[in-house]
Amino acid sequence: MAGEGGAVHSIEVTVNGETHQVAVEARRLLVHFIRETLGMRGTHIGCDSGNCGACSVICDGQLIKSCMMLAVAAEGCEIETVESLGEGADGLDPIQAAFKEHHGLQCGYCTPGFLLNAKTLLAENPNPSEAEIRRALKGNLCRCTGYVNIVRSIEAAAEAMR
Amino acid sequence: MLLAPTEYVRPGSLEEAIDELGARPGARVLAGGQSLINVLKHRAASVELLVDVSRLAELRSIDVAADGSARIGAATTYRELEHSAPLRASHAIIGRVAAGTVDRQVRARGTIGGNACFADPASNYPPLLVALGAELEIAGRGGTRSVAAEDFFLGLWRTAVGPGEVLVAIKLPPLGGAGVGYRSLQIAADSWALARAAAWVGPGDPIDAARVVLGCVAGTPVRASAVESKLIGGPRSAQAAAEAGALAVEGLDPPSDVHASGGYRRAMAAVMAARAVGDALGLAEEVASNGR
Repeated sequence: MAGEGGAVHSIEVTVNGETHQVAVEARRLLVHFIRETLGMRGTHIGCDSGNCGACSVICDGQLIKSCMMLAVAAEGCEIETVESLGEGADGLDPIQAAFKEHHGLQCGYCTPGFLLNAKTLLAENPNPSEAEIRRALKGNLCRCTGYVNIVRSIEAAAEAMR
Repeated sequence: MLLAPTEYVRPGSLEEAIDELGARPGARVLAGGQSLINVLKHRAASVELLVDVSRLAELRSIDVAADGSARIGAATTYRELEHSAPLRASHAIIGRVAAGTVDRQVRARGTIGGNACFADPASNYPPLLVALGAELEIAGRGGTRSVAAEDFFLGLWRTAVGPGEVLVAIKLPPLGGAGVGYRSLQIAADSWALARAAAWVGPGDPIDAARVVLGCVAGTPVRASAVESKLIGGPRSAQAAAEAGALAVEGLDPPSDVHASGGYRRAMAAVMAARAVGDALGLAEEVASNGR
């Protein structure tokens, strides 16, 4: 099927446990699929060039940048966005609670990417050193806080989750 | 960002992929997309059909043979290279370089074959594959052929992969007793670099074989033949590594950009070469304390 925007594909993608069957243009980026097609605005667009990590989501268990992947290429994948967090007692995931407690955000624009980065890091390495945390965060940029409080937040989240 | 209209297909086999690529002159291979998606965003290339090979089983395996040779599927991700135990045993340098490539997000999607085919002069793998004596297996409607890494990189963003073809695998000969070193002067951690050098030094004493290859200094990886000639026949010493490495500047005229002048890049290429040779000889600390 082809329209003004090029070929259209029907894809099935699971986002935060819910399976969506949607027609998308081949040229549509995953981040636009999540934000515009599905209307989930927690995933942010920062640089739109694969540098800032604000659009990071989890795809089949791995952190990826959703502005660097086509939606059609995610067919059959399980995507987790920041909206999947927050099932805790006070509505916050332990990582979110730690970011709140340790001032791990200021304007909050980059925060969804950092939260999901921390989630995948702690799933792989429940006891990361400060150096390991800093290295894991390399693909996520924050222009407000200078990272110190983000690192402290992740250290605190790691301790709370152990 | 809105990409130009394009078509997309995800073939179920290598054969289908070759058919798709051969049928349409405007078809291009899409693997992890960590370079190509940005090219499409900038509309720097017009692609009529994206042929997604990222899930092809034929392109995703890592096979290490009993003799220590390795065959790496072109669509193997950096992350898979980083975590491959067989590859760690046969060619540890491949996973070590993968682990220091860009960031976790890129490592989860980006592929070694995509990196080779993008042929960016500042990338890690082009000089390393030349130093390791890799062969690149390319398939098309005319069949399958192997190209030595040294002949694969033709220029800035240009490789031996022709229209209708796809890179299938990267084959690495056994290291045997050879040593390997890889050094980069990076702009920041896991980032682009000002100069890179890869060294492969045979097991002989005196040294009987060496390949030293520079990155970031020209459109393609550059064999530092003066360094190699100086090493061969010489002792396996830190002093020999330092003296030979210094010759890397010969015939080198790297470009200047916002990060460094050509002269600085040239000087640093020699330092990286000396250190990479030192690593290959197992003499990293001695070379460093020599002021190189």
